Amino acid sequence: MPPNADPESSQPVVKVVDLHKSFGALEVLKGISFEVHRRDVVSIIGASGSGKSTLLRCVNHLEVPTSGEVRISGRPLGFRLDGGRRRPDSLAGINRIRMDIGMVFQQFNLWPHMTVLQNVMEAPVYVRRLPAAEARDIAMGNLAKVDLLDKRDECPARLSGGQQQRVAIARALAMQPKVMLFDEPTSSLDPELTAEVLAAMRDLARDGMTMMVVTHEMGFAREVSTNVIFLHDGRIEEEGDADHVLTKPRSERCRQFLSRVLR
Amino acid sequence: MPPPTTAGFDFESLRQVFDFSYFWSYREVLLSGLLVNFLVFGFAALLAAGSGFVVCLLRVSRSRAARGIGTFYVELFRNTPEYVFLTWVHFVLPLVLTRLLVTRVNFAPTLSAVLALGLCYSGYFAETFRTGILSIPRGHIDAGRAVAMGRALIMRRIILPQAIRRVLPEALNNSVSLFKATSIVSLIAVPDLMYNVVNVVQYEMRPLPLYSSAAFLFFAILFMLSALVQALTERWRTRAWG
Repeated sequence: MPPNADPESSQPVVKVVDLHKSFGALEVLKGISFEVHRRDVVSIIGASGSGKSTLLRCVNHLEVPTSGEVRISGRPLGFRLDGGRRRPDSLAGINRIRMDIGMVFQQFNLWPHMTVLQNVMEAPVYVRRLPAAEARDIAMGNLAKVDLLDKRDECPARLSGGQQQRVAIARALAMQPKVMLFDEPTSSLDPELTAEVLAAMRDLARDGMTMMVVTHEMGFAREVSTNVIFLHDGRIEEEGDADHVLTKPRSERCRQFLSRVLR
Repeated sequence: MPPPTTAGFDFESLRQVFDFSYFWSYREVLLSGLLVNFLVFGFAALLAAGSGFVVCLLRVSRSRAARGIGTFYVELFRNTPEYVFLTWVHFVLPLVLTRLLVTRVNFAPTLSAVLALGLCYSGYFAETFRTGILSIPRGHIDAGRAVAMGRALIMRRIILPQAIRRVLPEALNNSVSLFKATSIVSLIAVPDLMYNVVNVVQYEMRPLPLYSSAAFLFFAILFMLSALVQALTERWRTRAWG
């Protein structure tokens, strides 16, 4: 396919413009703007409390931004332009766009009353309304991708944390999203299990998935990401290609942060 | 030698407490009364669980007005004694309805009993269900939102299947209490066990053995029901998902 044949392909997959988010009097995000293009893998780093998770949750509207814009493949998320005026979008409108965004959580958040396969099939069947057989094929394909096909009939509680997180990745992939968001996907795992989840994410990146990853894994950030965003106190303090931000940052704060976490 | 004291322990009364023969000779009418207790219990439990569920949905609704109505309902019924509400439903509500509808309204005692106990306990059921719904971790819901599930779908597919299992023991305990409360319906002349016992007592003039037997019977039934609930609850606790 020639470049730009699809009108959406020229658009950034994620575009965030002057995003602000406050919880009561506390302003967590103080004007964030960036773009994520197809096949980018963007790592978001920063100290705890810098607003990383809130930013990621705003990108799929799990948190409602106080002001600013999020656009997914050019389509506004959470608001409509009605004769030039901005109005809140309906949940149905938001969900049409959310179908293009996969998310993986720190706590896995698998549904414990369903088997592994049912977890992965749930959204294809009930949201996309695919026939069960087709949804099953998609689910099996995604479970194979994270190497857990043999666990498909287990309950999530019987899996290790690493396996649960890989199921959560398969569950998000089953909606065939254009971008995957990872919110500290390995922070509640011990090092051994962290490695298997990072391996699954590395495979995804190699397959060309567009990804945004909030992480403390600097090794993964350097090795896999194309871009790194360093957040400090609700603002982007430094951003650029991964090598540049992680090895020779301009910002003093970013240098300090890296020296603390890299040691 | 002082004469033997007559103010000793009254063994005769104690013997009568355990004399089931009167109860046994009237077993047919008395057990048909017990059947009425079960009937009132059954319909009241259905009403309580059904309207309790609806009110619980109001209580967890996003609309402030709906939540307000739900809270008012729950507080009203949880804080009105069953007996007071029973007499109100039976004697006052028909009058109110008669005025409002301009047609003569009368409730059969059994209908009043079902309505009153059902509504009274729906407040408890609503709170039990609400606890179950609120006990589902936020993350399970976020995961549903993230895959573009709507509110109704999240409720139906993620929250309720987990919440129902969590609240079953408590809901069964509510039901046992409801069965206990059916013992007051004789006060508005529902022909239940106590109503028939009172009639027999008036005819036989033997209150001691008859009332005692009725008490033993209620105790035995409720004790067995509670034990059953406990056993079921224990099994649910020890069994993980799957």
